[in-house]
Amino acid sequence: MAAILFSVRAMEDLKRVAQEAEAAIRGAGSKQALEEVRRAYLGRKGIVTRLFEDLPKVTAAERPAAGRRLNELRTRLETRLEERLREVTVSERTSRLAEEAIDVTLPGRKPRLGRRHVLSQTLEEVQDIFHGMGFEIVEGTEVETDEFNFERLNMGRDHPARDAQDSFFISDDLLLRTHTTVVDAHAMIGRAPPMRILTTGRCYRRDAPDWKRMPVFHQVDGFMVGEHITLANLKGVLVSFARQLFGPETKTKFVPGYFPFTEPSAELYVYFNNQWMELGGSGMFHPRVLEYAGIDPQRYTAFAFGLGIDRQVMVRYGIPDIRMLWDNDLRVLEQF
Amino acid sequence: MKVLVSWLREYVDIPFKVDELEERLSMLGLGVEGIERIGSDDAVFDLEIAANRGDLMSHLGVARELAAATRSTVRLPSGDVARDRQTVSEFVHVEVREPDLCPRFTATMLVDVRVGSSPEWLTRRLEACDVRSINNIVDVTNYVMLEMGQPMHAFDFDRVRGGRLVVRPARSKEVLTTLDGVQRTLDPQTLVVADAEQAAGIAGIIGAAPSEITASTRRVLLEAAVWHPPMIRRTSKRLGVRTESSARFERGVDQASVPSASARAVALMQQVGGGRALDGLIDVQARRVPQKQIALNWSTVPRVLGTDVSLNEGVATLRSLGFQAEASDGTVRVVVPSYRRDVEREEDLVEDIARHHGYERIPEEMPVEVTAQGSWAPSIDAERAVRDVLIRTGLTEVLTVPLTNGAALEMLRLPDKHPYRDAVPIRNPMVEDHVLLRTTLLPGLLHVARSNASHRLTDIQVFEIGRTFHPNRAGAREQRSLGVLMTGATLRGAWNLPPESVRVTYYTLKGVLESLLAELRVPEAEFRSAQASWLHPGRAASLTLGGHAIGTLGELHPDLSRALDLPAITYIAEVDLEALLEHAVLQPRFVPPPRYPSMRRDISFVVDAGVPVAEVEAAIRRAGRPLLESVELFDIYTAAPVPEGRRNLAYALSFRSPDRTLTAEEIVETMGAITRALEKGLGAKIRD
Repeated sequence: MAAILFSVRAMEDLKRVAQEAEAAIRGAGSKQALEEVRRAYLGRKGIVTRLFEDLPKVTAAERPAAGRRLNELRTRLETRLEERLREVTVSERTSRLAEEAIDVTLPGRKPRLGRRHVLSQTLEEVQDIFHGMGFEIVEGTEVETDEFNFERLNMGRDHPARDAQDSFFISDDLLLRTHTTVVDAHAMIGRAPPMRILTTGRCYRRDAPDWKRMPVFHQVDGFMVGEHITLANLKGVLVSFARQLFGPETKTKFVPGYFPFTEPSAELYVYFNNQWMELGGSGMFHPRVLEYAGIDPQRYTAFAFGLGIDRQVMVRYGIPDIRMLWDNDLRVLEQF
Repeated sequence: MKVLVSWLREYVDIPFKVDELEERLSMLGLGVEGIERIGSDDAVFDLEIAANRGDLMSHLGVARELAAATRSTVRLPSGDVARDRQTVSEFVHVEVREPDLCPRFTATMLVDVRVGSSPEWLTRRLEACDVRSINNIVDVTNYVMLEMGQPMHAFDFDRVRGGRLVVRPARSKEVLTTLDGVQRTLDPQTLVVADAEQAAGIAGIIGAAPSEITASTRRVLLEAAVWHPPMIRRTSKRLGVRTESSARFERGVDQASVPSASARAVALMQQVGGGRALDGLIDVQARRVPQKQIALNWSTVPRVLGTDVSLNEGVATLRSLGFQAEASDGTVRVVVPSYRRDVEREEDLVEDIARHHGYERIPEEMPVEVTAQGSWAPSIDAERAVRDVLIRTGLTEVLTVPLTNGAALEMLRLPDKHPYRDAVPIRNPMVEDHVLLRTTLLPGLLHVARSNASHRLTDIQVFEIGRTFHPNRAGAREQRSLGVLMTGATLRGAWNLPPESVRVTYYTLKGVLESLLAELRVPEAEFRSAQASWLHPGRAASLTLGGHAIGTLGELHPDLSRALDLPAITYIAEVDLEALLEHAVLQPRFVPPPRYPSMRRDISFVVDAGVPVAEVEAAIRRAGRPLLESVELFDIYTAAPVPEGRRNLAYALSFRSPDRTLTAEEIVETMGAITRALEKGLGAKIRD
């Protein structure tokens, strides 16, 4: 072996070793194959290692050159091995990742998302709008006295307007409230003007259920009392409300109406889905209603309004039958 | 109420086409419910008349509004008629025994009348307004009612016994066959117009057959009266009879114009049926209606409306509506016409002025006088917080009707004395499903599950926040309640997952309530084994707060699931939200995250299966004070080698001090205390 290190032929043999080694490195396709190549050339019994061992057999004059050539060879092979190792690592990872591929079109695992009932959602929306306009959001009871539900709202025992509010009675004087306006009558007591109050809740009227009526339904009522509250303010507040709920371009109109507890009275309509939809009634509180609550009508004026929610939800979402709001069919509830 | 446009034109010039008229009327507050066009320029309008505007229940009344809208005045119909020398009082005697209920009663008479069919112009107008033509005499009474708003009744005088009309309460069990063909047994609550012997009609509502006008009638006795509106309303409701007449009387008919309406009818009867009108009018009126005068301080108008209306415009409006109005020094002295029974104070006049000024001309202005901060009633805030948490746990909100019946409670198989049975009944229910107020949300939730299951929807996780009602001395106590129902899978797209890993269990339901308690920062809530008739006896619990049960939860009894066709395993809970919210803390308070590391140790031991985990945890916590931070169960094992009747529990315990890093010795010491507590207190055998 020693002969190759210093003969001319030996130079060519060394070149051949280098070529063979480099070919082996290139041909190694895995980390393991590469390690085998490294061992064959640079390992303890490797070809290059053995050549180093033969170095002392070379003459002293030639030894430095031979040593240099061997070192160069070793360095080159190490570099090649490192480069190849990097290549092999990348390609191994790539193929492993390829094997890990999944069918990304399989259905996802969907946790159930809870949601509000569309009526609650609407009521909260309305509360939020009025809260944003500085209203105090209050609530009342569903069982009410005849006195508050009717008389304090200027509807005496024989008032014809009672016909439209046929009530469920639970005793001579107790009934299920027919409108949330009754909460206004309570809220005015014990508070001093100025007031901005809003309430939402369930009301009851003696109706058999059909497509457009349920014996239980939802209303919103609000009022504002102050020294300079006018019908123009009522229009301002309700138009602002309608625009926040239905969009900034919403068209509204106020039409004279009749409610025993307001004078003048107005019905509020919004133009929605190519039709005028009645949102509710409103007006300036009748002075007698203020008097009942101990508020001086000479000094203060007040506007008030009451809006139906259920009809509005039906029109807004195109729900054809009010009973669908109470069926709690998950296929319906999950649409909102 | 129907009005015919060409008929209106008799009293007022209408410079509007039909479409514009619709818009005008509705902007005046006369809601148009329907329009039936006749030819190119006539139509029948169906108007919605407010309960306080009896004066608008006639063509003349509507014409008056249009006159004001066009700044003109109405042309009144004529009641001129040649009177005979004989007087009514020679033949007729009227007695009003209830003057409070009958403020005015008039009678007049026409003789030698020929009853026959009405001329075409008359029948056409009646029919346009949905009134059937009967004969010329009856038709005239209806015509004048539609024209002037005064309902009347014509009797065949020769069938009015004794020539007497008596306004009196019906006698007990008095029988009367009314013109609708119904035989009615009356009582003294009902006011009648009677002849000398018996009732001849129910006052103001409907006439009776025996004295009706027939082809052979020669002498017509015409009654025109005014009745107490509440009495008419009550009687009409009680008897279930609503007529054109009662609709007008219950809104109030003008007491002052009764004679002119009567004269108008006589004139028309003579025109269509001939005959002679007797002289005089029997007119019984206890009290004349006082003239109402109102001083309208003009500054009230802008104060209420928020816009200026000129004094001249206001006065003109009032005058064309029939008010007398004189302005001086910023005050308008107004005399209210007798037909405007609704007008009592300044605000009523302001409304008329505003209507005719046009609501659309009132500006939209935000109030500026107060800057207010919005606020929430605590109960609303709390309810919204609860709703929010439940939705975050994946539940869908349902709303059910609070009106119910006994059958709904039977579903729950309640024992006799159960508080849920103590319900508030509705005195006047409408349908038999709605006779009680609910005492619990459970039947409603079961119904929701059942109806969804019938659509093959079996993954149901819902909640309801609603009020329940309980009798008390004052009548009814309202309580806010929370109901939860869960069944089926909690995850969609669970392919290849073991089904039991995504199915709702008792612990899923309990976890929802625990999350709620944690979010509401309710301390010291406990779940204890309990019994309820609707729950599986081995899988039922109560939720207790401070020793009081405030709710129940568990697996629905399998017998109930089967009986109700519900998904096999359903979990259901109800919690008294009122009681829960008393202990809730909604406002978060910042607690700094710990600065020192925690140390974890696991402990595993065998204990009697009958010892509830809650008890084990309580023992660990007590013994682990003050360093023990959290106790988390991670495994339960019951098979061999664990002996029968015992189970192996494995806990991860974590320890921490707020002010230092703990030493191994400290942990060993605490673990020792925990071990001793488990061994001594619960007979546990610790495994290494």
